[in-house]
Amino acid sequence: MTMDRRTALGVGGAVAAGTLLAPGIHLIAAPQRTEAKAGRRWAMLIDVTKCTEECTGCSDACAKENNIPQIEDKDRQIQYIRKLKIEDKAGKKPPISLPVLCNHCEHPPCEHVCPTSATFIRKDGLVLVDKHRCIGCRYCMIACPYKARSLVYQENETPVAELNGETPIRAAGVVEKCSFCVHLIDKGELPACVQSCNQSHGGAMMFGDLNDPNSEIAKKVAEVKSLTLRADLGLKPHVHYQGL
Amino acid sequence: MISKFTAIQGESFDYWKIVGLFGALFVLGLLAFGYIEIQGHHVTGMNQKVVWGLPHVFAISLLVMASGALNLASMATVFGAEPYKQFRRFSAFLAIALLVGGLLVLIADLGRPDRGLLTMIHMNFRSMFTWNVFLYSGFVVLCFLYLWSMMEHEKYVKITGSAAFPGRVILTTGTGSIFGVIHAREVFHSAITGPTFIAVSLSSGTAICFLLLASTFKATGREFHPKLISGMRNMLIFFTLAVFYLIVVEKFTKSYSPAFYDVEKWVLTGQWAWLFWGGIVLAGIVAPLAILTHKTWGNSLNGVMLASGLAIIGEVSFIAHVLLAGQTYPFNPFPGYVVSSSFQDGAFGHYVPSLSEFMLGMGGVGVAGLIYLLGIKFFRLLPKKAEAPEHWAPWNP
Ligand code: SF4
Ligand code: SF4
Repeated sequence: MTMDRRTALGVGGAVAAGTLLAPGIHLIAAPQRTEAKAGRRWAMLIDVTKCTEECTGCSDACAKENNIPQIEDKDRQIQYIRKLKIEDKAGKKPPISLPVLCNHCEHPPCEHVCPTSATFIRKDGLVLVDKHRCIGCRYCMIACPYKARSLVYQENETPVAELNGETPIRAAGVVEKCSFCVHLIDKGELPACVQSCNQSHGGAMMFGDLNDPNSEIAKKVAEVKSLTLRADLGLKPHVHYQGL
Repeated sequence: MISKFTAIQGESFDYWKIVGLFGALFVLGLLAFGYIEIQGHHVTGMNQKVVWGLPHVFAISLLVMASGALNLASMATVFGAEPYKQFRRFSAFLAIALLVGGLLVLIADLGRPDRGLLTMIHMNFRSMFTWNVFLYSGFVVLCFLYLWSMMEHEKYVKITGSAAFPGRVILTTGTGSIFGVIHAREVFHSAITGPTFIAVSLSSGTAICFLLLASTFKATGREFHPKLISGMRNMLIFFTLAVFYLIVVEKFTKSYSPAFYDVEKWVLTGQWAWLFWGGIVLAGIVAPLAILTHKTWGNSLNGVMLASGLAIIGEVSFIAHVLLAGQTYPFNPFPGYVVSSSFQDGAFGHYVPSLSEFMLGMGGVGVAGLIYLLGIKFFRLLPKKAEAPEHWAPWNP
């Protein structure tokens, strides 16, 4: 019994050719996501001298604001912002504790590698993830040098009453990260971590538009000595650290 | 020429037993897929550090092997190696089978496989992944055209075969570059990652071709000329040496840079060092070379089959090592400092694959095996008798 190989080859070839050509057909249809005001450049300045090791004000506020479930499993928990402790190898300087979060890089490798453009840069410089478009390939997690991204390993089981209605909860299988609380910024408010830090904790965080020369943050960044993490990688992060 | 090719009978109980075996693997893969899909990825061994686990090892191994499987055909069409002309069809068909198996695993392991089509609709041309979508489907198209011309229009073989050759080189470079272009990961980032993937693909692709040819010929009572064993053995020696060379160059280059001291020391002595020394060096390079260059073993069918099996273990170890060592090595946003956090900054990652991941990966092997088994039954892919030209005298140890 031999199948008519002409038919079989034809069908196989057509399927393969279709897969090759299909992408081209939709090239133009991809929507532009340009809601934000161009010309702005949101950034953060963190004064690490005001940060204590015990304080987790920023990360607690973040988890609450962004509906981040507190799961037991340390290996799979989600963190948008975390407190990092650094000690020099010789042990000469006292350890420093500082928050690390998505740096909303100007040249974000996470956005470069994302096959579906689920990760995109808004006009105001925010690097965001479209949770409806992410296919969960996790290439962005491989590419981000700050470990700023988390995969949602399981469904969020927080009771609805305890959820913040303003931020979406993520379905399992997608990747998410800090958005600088885009929903608050767009209303003219500050990100939850910055609010919490300045209201009831060390007051170490400053947030604003770096492109506006009159903004507090632009003036401060021009005035004090600050640096960004892994500047050698050339990603131009937008979280600046003072006092490091 | 064409009349020399036949399909196998494929009516024996043994044949259907093997079909059943691969079919069962495929079903297990489907079950694992459903399980991971419904439960979420937390039932796998993956975590926030190791996000590409065993399914990726299977998928990438199959994809890399697929491009190498086209080697016999390229040898004949592009390099004019007469003795391999009879295996062109088999070689191109096997390449497709392995590629389909690998791709299925890759798609099935997505966090949201239901959205797989999005890669076709919203493309980001800066992404190496996007390029790979084109490279994989393009490669399948090229293989089909090649097969079609071999079976129907011999006069186009030169052109389709010549097109498939750069296709496979680009494909494997693309796969290697998924890792090579990542600046943030010390273990991955290297211009030589792509070429190393090519060398590994050539050795493992030749090895799988030899294993399948030898066993299919044995099982169907067809003749396999001993000179062909020597010829393919020599290819395997050459490609294994190429892998060895590229790995040495990479280690040599990195050992000159103090920035890489820590990571290289860890690669060679840390948690995954067993994969490097045992899998890549011993199983993938030293043992096959010892067998293949041995006076008697290197000339026996079983010896070369064993070496081929080892070369495949070497390939899978290589992929697993790149992936796992690359992901478990800790990031440090503060080079020169010791860092720690509740998110395990500064700590080495760990990873123990789950059974479901293994089953998912084996599902891909099942698919590739099924396609191969049905292919040799329904198409005339194999020569009745594998002959060798009289004037041909391959090198012998
Ligand atoms: S910090 Fe990481 S996740 Fe955030 S923009 Fe930069 S690369 Fe992307
Ligand atoms: S996991 Fe989602 S956001 Fe990340 S690269 Fe893949 S599709 Fe893009």
